[in-house]
Amino acid sequence: MPKLATKEDLEVIGKQLLLDRKKINKTIIVCGGTGCKASHSQDVIEAINQELTTQEMDSSVHLRMTGCHGFCEQGPIAVIEPGNIFYCHITPEDAHDIVTRTLQNGEVIERLLYTDPVSGRKIRTESEIPFYLAQDRQLLSHNREVNPCSIEDYIAVGGYTALAKAINSLSPEEIIHEIKVSGLRGRGGGGFPTGRKWAECSEASSDEKYVICNADEGDPGAYMDRCVLEGNPHLVIEGMMIGAYAVGATKGYIYVRNEYPLAVKHARFAVQQARKLGLLGENILGSSFSFDVDVARGGGAFVCGESTALMASLEGKVGEPRPKDVHTVVDGLWHKPTTLNNVETWANVPSIILNGANWFASKGTKGSKGTKILSLTGRIKNTGLVEVAMGTPIRDVVFNIGGGATDGKAIKAVQTGGPSGGCLPVDKFDLPVDFDVLYEAGSMIGSGGMVVMDESSCMVDVAKYFLTFLQDESCGMCVPCRLGIDRMLEIITDITEGRGTLEQLDLIEELADTVTQTSLCGLGKTAANPVLSTLRYFREEYEAHINNKECPAGVCKALIEYSIDPEKCTGCGRCTLACIHGAISGEKKEPHVINPELCQKCGICRSECKHEAIQVR
Amino acid sequence: MLHYVSVNIDGAIIKAPKGSSVLEVAIEYGICIPHLCHVPGLSDIGACRLCIVENITDGRSQVTTSCTLKVQEGMVIRTNTDRIKRLRHNIAELLVAEAPNSRAIQDIAVRCGVKKVRYPFRNSNCVLCGRCVRACAEIWHANALGFVGRGKNRHVERPLNMREEFCKQCDYCVQLCPMTITPCDGPMKPGEEYLCGKCESQLMITEEVPDSCAWCRLGEGFNCGRYAGVKAVR
Repeated sequence: MPKLATKEDLEVIGKQLLLDRKKINKTIIVCGGTGCKASHSQDVIEAINQELTTQEMDSSVHLRMTGCHGFCEQGPIAVIEPGNIFYCHITPEDAHDIVTRTLQNGEVIERLLYTDPVSGRKIRTESEIPFYLAQDRQLLSHNREVNPCSIEDYIAVGGYTALAKAINSLSPEEIIHEIKVSGLRGRGGGGFPTGRKWAECSEASSDEKYVICNADEGDPGAYMDRCVLEGNPHLVIEGMMIGAYAVGATKGYIYVRNEYPLAVKHARFAVQQARKLGLLGENILGSSFSFDVDVARGGGAFVCGESTALMASLEGKVGEPRPKDVHTVVDGLWHKPTTLNNVETWANVPSIILNGANWFASKGTKGSKGTKILSLTGRIKNTGLVEVAMGTPIRDVVFNIGGGATDGKAIKAVQTGGPSGGCLPVDKFDLPVDFDVLYEAGSMIGSGGMVVMDESSCMVDVAKYFLTFLQDESCGMCVPCRLGIDRMLEIITDITEGRGTLEQLDLIEELADTVTQTSLCGLGKTAANPVLSTLRYFREEYEAHINNKECPAGVCKALIEYSIDPEKCTGCGRCTLACIHGAISGEKKEPHVINPELCQKCGICRSECKHEAIQVR
Repeated sequence: MLHYVSVNIDGAIIKAPKGSSVLEVAIEYGICIPHLCHVPGLSDIGACRLCIVENITDGRSQVTTSCTLKVQEGMVIRTNTDRIKRLRHNIAELLVAEAPNSRAIQDIAVRCGVKKVRYPFRNSNCVLCGRCVRACAEIWHANALGFVGRGKNRHVERPLNMREEFCKQCDYCVQLCPMTITPCDGPMKPGEEYLCGKCESQLMITEEVPDSCAWCRLGEGFNCGRYAGVKAVR
């Protein structure tokens, strides 16, 4: 493709690519996101490609490998157009059937269809699946339209037209005004109004300014940014370019975790493609705007997702935060004004410019506009990436989209916002997904992680898990974060091991307040949230651990004991064979017993027993 | 030419040189703010968080460290509110529980009102205030010391444990270390640590400047006047 010198070039090429695409009327879209790759979608893609070549159909059928579709539970998945036929759990052996029966003869293969766990019936098309039906997919819907490694795909679906509109017909002030009116807020966790951030940065005077895309996503169980950057890197780059034009920056950085190799690869490839087409570089699309992007790999610290630590890391220093008495929009990367936004925030920008601020603001609540991608994980039927309009009740997300609990257990809580967020009990599930409402409830949207927990989760243990995570990931510079988290963990460990006292609960609350108020950076300021929210909503569990020395969920090892119900035990001996510690003994066909001195409480016997004879107390 | 701004610290309107930190201005004026990691002349990192103050803007107060906060025209600062005292007390308690074997930290704790330590003592030999690291890097540009590791594993070490030739053997790191002065009764044995509470504050080995501040004479200050001595050393 030649370099795009003007806005008209882009339009012409976009139309041409769209026509080319329409010539091939059959498309098979296979997900090549990390989730599906883990279930061997790469083999499936190769098998289908092989099959298409042997049947000489490769010119009439378009095979598109795309980024994540969100329904990772069912991977690898494929969608066949026209017809919108949805296949899940595909294996390479299915490739022959798919090509001959579906693509050639238009037949639907029953066994590959998705079965709705609620009604039990087979669902034929993608658009009928309840998981997708209940969502409002503004960003994620792009993923299935484009091959992340192909800028042609992106331009064919209207990519970079928002950029062309911005730099040709809008002034920086108009763009900032538009973003302000749209009510877009930072998707990385803080929820800071993006328009205000851009305005402050554009007002700062400097010879050089920077924009940064923060893709250092490290929350346990969250992968929204990964999927957006892996699945549609050009969307993020386009957003960054519009932002750079608005604030007056000439250089951008995408800071990606090194643990996301596919995201690094796709982002780098996208930057190279954009440079080749002249979309990055000097005088973009014939305007006076010049901009370039570099991809930087993160060093593997969770704290590097904090803006100042990220900038220190980019500068080549140790990734440690610094005091933010002067904001980074004035004094950021290399002490120059810097606008740092999350992947999802940047990805929202092009559609706001194209469709207008009012379109964006029409979705959502008073304080939170647009849609939010949530990563739904934990003890539910449909795990995956979910995009909903702000204001959707948590109940809808967990039950309608998530499909409710697995194994018929009762859902107890949802943990939102990763280690900085909190746990909300089931009676708070009517709360909407909204920055301010969740913050007031003691949790937060954060970057969008949602871990659903059922009755088999112990909330004290959950708090302990997050504190252990934060203790490892704290940079250790300031006293409240380093020592405060350490002491909180010490107290919680005491409680889970049966040494806790009720006074310690007051102490941990006071300590949590101190850590929140006095820590240097966002990591410390929110580190106490998992403890505070579990204490607020599940205090009775803490009290059970302290007063009765028991763990109601049967998780905390020091407080539980395994035993065999002699009534139920048939003496089959499965548990004896399974126990690696040799703690179970008994005659054949006689009730067995567990020796508590040898028992390590690993729970293997419990999962092996067919008669539910193993009890935990 | 120095530019001056006027700031309100604890009700006193102070003309302060632009670019100085709130902590420096307050100490200069005789308002005592406890601190550990701040050393005059070295950069401030806000690690110990003892020097927290309330910065009040538009009726909203924000807790921030005064060593990293630069003075601005019309700033309103409160250094000794109940909220600050409570937070400071909790931080000092965390510190002294970590390092009871330092007279300096024992003193800070006592002066921040810690009467009882609610955590088990740990008796570690470094509180990671970073005085030595910054002195080494900024006074001599030697960089013979640095922080290694993160979180619980963070500690001070010679980089890669092999840059000894860079060390100028100036001993500043030792002089500035708050851990080098043991309590009067001598080092406490592991498991027998206690909060002493009898000592006078002595953060640095320099000559004391007596009676420099009314607060110190009243026994409520933090002996900040001794900085006159430190400046002489440099």
